[in-house]
Amino acid sequence: MTPVLEVRDLSKTFTLHTIDGRTVVSLRGVSLDVAAGEHVAIAGPNGAGKSSLLRCVHRTYLPDSGSVTLHLPDGRVELTSLADRKMARLRGREICYVSQFLETPPRAGALEVVADAARRRGLAAGEAGDAAAESLRRLGLDEALWDVDCGVLSGGERQRINLAAGTVRPPRLLLLDEPVSALDPANRELALSLVSSLTSQGVAVLAVFHDLDAIRQLATRVIRMEDGRIVASGTADEILDDLEAVS
Amino acid sequence: MTTAVRQLLDDPQGAAAGILDEGAKREIRRATLTAVCVPGYQVPFGSREMPVARGWGSGGLQVTLGVIGPDDVLKVIDQGDDGGVNATNLRRIVSSTTHCAADTDTRAATVIQTRHRMPEEVLGEQHVVVFQVPVAEPLRGVQRSSAECDRMHAEADYSAMWVALYEDIVRNGIITQSTGYPVLVNGRYVMATSPVPRWDIPRLHQADHLNLYGAGRERRIYAIPPHTPVNPLTFDDVPFEVEYAPSARCDYCGSDDTYLVEAPGGRFVCSDSDYCARTSAGDSDTAAHRAVAPLAWLPDPARPSVKSQPASLRTGAGSSSPAPEPVRPVAPFDGGDWMLKVDKVGKVFGPGGERAVAGTGPSFGTAVSPLTGAIVAAWDVSFDVAPGEALGLIGESGSGKSTVLNCLIGDERASTGTVRLASVDGGSTDLLTLSAAERRRLRIDTVSIVYQDPAAGLDLRVSAGGNIAERLTAAGWRSYHAIRRRAAELLDRVEVPLSRMDDPTSTFSGGMRQRVQIAKALATGAPVLLLDEPTTGLDASIAAGVLDLLRGLLRERDVAAVVVSHDFAVIEALTDRCVVMQTGRVVESGLTDQLFHDPHHPYTQRLVAAARR
Repeated sequence: MTPVLEVRDLSKTFTLHTIDGRTVVSLRGVSLDVAAGEHVAIAGPNGAGKSSLLRCVHRTYLPDSGSVTLHLPDGRVELTSLADRKMARLRGREICYVSQFLETPPRAGALEVVADAARRRGLAAGEAGDAAAESLRRLGLDEALWDVDCGVLSGGERQRINLAAGTVRPPRLLLLDEPVSALDPANRELALSLVSSLTSQGVAVLAVFHDLDAIRQLATRVIRMEDGRIVASGTADEILDDLEAVS
Repeated sequence: MTTAVRQLLDDPQGAAAGILDEGAKREIRRATLTAVCVPGYQVPFGSREMPVARGWGSGGLQVTLGVIGPDDVLKVIDQGDDGGVNATNLRRIVSSTTHCAADTDTRAATVIQTRHRMPEEVLGEQHVVVFQVPVAEPLRGVQRSSAECDRMHAEADYSAMWVALYEDIVRNGIITQSTGYPVLVNGRYVMATSPVPRWDIPRLHQADHLNLYGAGRERRIYAIPPHTPVNPLTFDDVPFEVEYAPSARCDYCGSDDTYLVEAPGGRFVCSDSDYCARTSAGDSDTAAHRAVAPLAWLPDPARPSVKSQPASLRTGAGSSSPAPEPVRPVAPFDGGDWMLKVDKVGKVFGPGGERAVAGTGPSFGTAVSPLTGAIVAAWDVSFDVAPGEALGLIGESGSGKSTVLNCLIGDERASTGTVRLASVDGGSTDLLTLSAAERRRLRIDTVSIVYQDPAAGLDLRVSAGGNIAERLTAAGWRSYHAIRRRAAELLDRVEVPLSRMDDPTSTFSGGMRQRVQIAKALATGAPVLLLDEPTTGLDASIAAGVLDLLRGLLRERDVAAVVVSHDFAVIEALTDRCVVMQTGRVVESGLTDQLFHDPHHPYTQRLVAAARR
């Protein structure tokens, strides 16, 4: 099966000019594939490079070397060298990145944020509003909060808005970075079932969870990272048992 | 009577040359011929002073003396009558120095010098009417700079005139300009009609006679040759009207189709004493006169007032309101389809041109050329923007971002590089090679700019609606009501209360002014929008509101936007892509969130660190 995402030998080093040009190596030659309908979970300690990997795929970070290839119905696209404008377009439509923290424009309300995301995916203004409402309802966000400035909402509420914006229409590739870390058990369950249903609809998911139960519940494959490298790959049971044994 | 005039009258033979020598006559005749060839255009001329005080008909006297011959019959009228002191003096000066005949009967006259009226009598090709003009420049009321007036005429840029009419209607429900009503001559030049009442204006259109205008103080001659279209400036849906007093008749001759003036005791009398006297005596062709009288322009008492309360313009109020302008969905932009493309633009202030560039830029830490001392404000700046996309231009003060924007809009002349617009000749034309006039035209409906200082983009003396009307009339809008509706719709969109629509923008707060400036920039749906530090001059809470507004506007419109700011928060909120400038050069460019999270250039890293407050 052709993968949706193909990462080859990806490396990323930060040069901090403000601290005398000190360098911080974040990724040291990472390669992996994610196919449609596959949920690949990345496990590993803090600083292993999990989030950096997601961000390099999303091009929030610009990798130094290696390739990130996205397979689309009409051909393959090399994301590391794609023109900025085309990348911006792909981001709205084919690749969605849900970070741990909600990043929204200042003073925007939940419905506006999610409807915006829907519009970027090509929905007309009216449909986008409906799709946004449905998406927020599905994640159990109280309707009274829909037009409140996201900046004043609780961490859990913000995370759900973030997830709603990322999944208002199923993308081809979904990048999840700790999307449920602030949710209570009931809402966490809602969110996880949403992700699971997207995977079964054929979305390729690359996810970072610290919560091993979530990984067991969702992942079709697990990758373990340490110090910017992939050190192991296998089923959830294989990798997580190992991980638990280590800790 | 002045000594000069007394001398003239005592020694007419000798004085004829003294009043206007052959050289001066030639000059005036040349100017007059030019004026006839270019109807409505003010031709400057040179002449010696006339022996009458300025404001007493010196310009008219020069033209009359230039065109009159011994076979002519002269008539001079002032307020409409032939017997005034000034009219009598002028008539005596001209007839005694040129030996032409003088007559008060319009039918007998061939040259008629006048100030405030056109004779009531039907005029024919045998007549030349010479108007004494107090103020030749029709734009004087809206523009004090003569050079700027000349430019406006040259480019037929009369939007300021239309705004003045718009403001007049807004304030008064009618156009109150009574005498010297501005007209468009031959579809080209706006012309001042000297202080004749509106009653006389329709008779200038396609007239059989020649009209000459002489302005002594401004030394201009202009003309309306026979059979020339002359249209009073007015909106398509606000009719031009002449003066009218219901059921008024001349107390002497009984005419009700002449221009009447009020006399003591509530009576009305004809202003044209010659016609009135002859009509009383039964010696006038009243039917022929009625045929040329401007009765078609009498006000229609049944017509509703055009005055409209701003609140009634709110979309949906009233049945005649059209549907609101549909909000265009954001079309996904596709790779190469740029709307604006900037290529290697550079600007050097000072000597040396390209030679000044060496030794400047970020790696040298200076924009000042060590070789020539010139300031290299921008060099080798390239980017493009697609419809529906916003590009940020970020950098600290002096980094050259505003210089680049000024070169784009044409406020500044770029030293090198090209700027192309997909909507201008399919992108094949370099805007930097266009004339200033062509570039100004592009600003009407192709490239809009919002300045940091609202005063730079607005006329603060004019109302909010009038400022928007300026842009719309420049783009050719001629319906008052359509302009009102469009202005109301735009102001509503930028959240300016419609109750303030008709207030001068000088009474607005800074944030409100900025909103009006944004509405004006959007008025004609220009495909390119440039925003120069749009929120910088505003305090934090107001800036936030304007920023939110811009974010919404960019989202719902398909414009290609360039946002210049030194504030990463503004760039982050508004743009997808971003170019970082330092000392005149582009040091880094990329996706906005990538530049924020993973800046590569030392300068960008410092900028990002500074933004995290």
